[in-house]
Amino acid sequence: MKMGFKIGIFDEEEKFISSIKSLQENDFNIHDVFTPYPIHEVFHLLKRKSRLPSAAYFIGLSAILATLAFLYYTAVVDWPVVYGGKPFNSFPSFIVITIVLTILAVTIGSLALFSVRSKLVPGRDNTIFDHRATDDKFVIVVDTGKLDKSTAGKAENIMNELGAVEVIDKDFENVIA
Amino acid sequence: MYNSKIRGPLVEGNKSLGQITREVVSPIETSPGIWWSAALGLSSLATIYGIYAIYMTVYKGIGTWGVNNSVGWGWEIINFVWWIGIGHAGTAFSIFLLILRQRWRTSINRAAEAMTVFAVLCAAIMPALHMGRIWLAFYIFPYPNTRGPLWVNFNSPLFWDFTAITAYLLISVSFWYLGMLPDLATIRDKTASKVRKALYGFFSMGWTGSSRHWIRYESLSFILGGIAAVLVVSVHSIVSTDFAVGVEPGWHTTIFPPFFVVGAIFSGFAMVMTLMVLIRKVYRLTDYITDNHMDAIARILIFISLIMGTAYLSEIFVAWYSGNQYEMFTFFRNRITGDYKIQFWGMIVCNALIPQLFWFRKMRRNWIVLLLVSLLINIGMWLERYTIIVTSLTKDFLPSNWAPYTPTFIDVGVFVGTIGLFATGVLLFMRYLPMMAISELKGVAHIGSKKED
Repeated sequence: MKMGFKIGIFDEEEKFISSIKSLQENDFNIHDVFTPYPIHEVFHLLKRKSRLPSAAYFIGLSAILATLAFLYYTAVVDWPVVYGGKPFNSFPSFIVITIVLTILAVTIGSLALFSVRSKLVPGRDNTIFDHRATDDKFVIVVDTGKLDKSTAGKAENIMNELGAVEVIDKDFENVIA
Repeated sequence: MYNSKIRGPLVEGNKSLGQITREVVSPIETSPGIWWSAALGLSSLATIYGIYAIYMTVYKGIGTWGVNNSVGWGWEIINFVWWIGIGHAGTAFSIFLLILRQRWRTSINRAAEAMTVFAVLCAAIMPALHMGRIWLAFYIFPYPNTRGPLWVNFNSPLFWDFTAITAYLLISVSFWYLGMLPDLATIRDKTASKVRKALYGFFSMGWTGSSRHWIRYESLSFILGGIAAVLVVSVHSIVSTDFAVGVEPGWHTTIFPPFFVVGAIFSGFAMVMTLMVLIRKVYRLTDYITDNHMDAIARILIFISLIMGTAYLSEIFVAWYSGNQYEMFTFFRNRITGDYKIQFWGMIVCNALIPQLFWFRKMRRNWIVLLLVSLLINIGMWLERYTIIVTSLTKDFLPSNWAPYTPTFIDVGVFVGTIGLFATGVLLFMRYLPMMAISELKGVAHIGSKKED
């Protein structure tokens, strides 16, 4: 399926933000925006949210339970050994390993979730709308596939008026993201 | 949230975003010059000496080392603790300063994280070799085995140490790599070379800088930063318990965990300073790593140095106050005076006294002083570990067990080899990876500069 986009290129953060606002007021469908560094206002405007923190919390919780259960099983059930006259279930000395393994599990787990959810894996070829977005330009991509020419032209005008360096018309066969 | 008007601009020279990209990427795009190849040659030589020493250790056993029945831990454990200490640079810079919202860390954290990864790798070599039969090293993994199944001793600090260091290495690498994703994409989109485009493209994992990527990236950085903050204190506390649970005089004290953690951060910051002084000189990156950055590190070093001095004094005080004759002997007859007084006083001078030079602004702004003091601190930290390990072990409770300790050619080789490995790693990092977090620099480029005022 062929998809049409208007790609607005900005070189200043303020102009870029006001364009997003104006495009949203005029009910245009912003496919996504691309920036060289994270901008918090963009997250608010596009209502982007991440559930990674809650996922990380549950990974951590299960790691704590799993580690303690494993230590209990090995030290009390499977092969109890007396070390220095201490009880088999010597909980205080299990805490250190539990903390470290929890941190490790949260790190690896949330990294894996990040990779899956953002579709970022080594060698992946996500669609790059404009390669200057990782350098010094702020890029707005408006989905104009279903719009007629004059409405699409209006999006172009908005971006031009608010200080876009250039607005490009581009069609993509399929978008990987 | 953060106002740096007091500190001055974080990036000098009122740079545009494109300029930041060009200047940070340029060491990767251009050929580095003769000094780089010379340095790499030298560090490879050191690494080869290390490989020889490791080969001899594995082939003949740790009888090739200077250790004996009384002094069972020698240079290898000294170096292990030393490297792990240096490995705290990354956590201290990336995470400690992230939590404290010190945004000046931005131009330094990437290099500090790289140092962490290489230093922890060097550290891990030491205990692995110390096992003697390295081909049985997998015994330390708690897996269902045919020996019972007999599990490892989960109550032993030595096993905690293994867990902590393995986890530390994995976490540091993850954090480092995650931070580099946007910058690898920048290089992919900027470079003219096809090989580089393919390679950096592969490793940038398809990063586009879309808002969906950034929100998850930010949120993940905070999760990792927050959870790994524990590592700043946990790793070296665990290393210190290896000593503190031993009943040797001079080891068996409760001061050890905080004392070791502070020492680790001290040597980490010192190593970062050494590297930064050199990087900003060689690559002329003084606009990014400004005099103010060096000043800030120097101030932290004075503060930590005072804590170190206090720790040394309280150890000595407690030895006297305890009335324990073995503690008294170790501190007053075998450290302050006696066979190892040079190492002891070297440690005091390098760690507690010399960094006090940084009270003077002139000293904090002189790069030769910065370089020398940072090197001396790391020598001092090495001497500290030497003092702790060797003085306590050579003369303990029974005089009939007393034995001298001298390292052999092989001991020295293992140490020199790890220095070579570390230097090789850092040189390759400077050549092939973005030395500073480009995307983060862009975010702080105008903080405190005239444009914002």
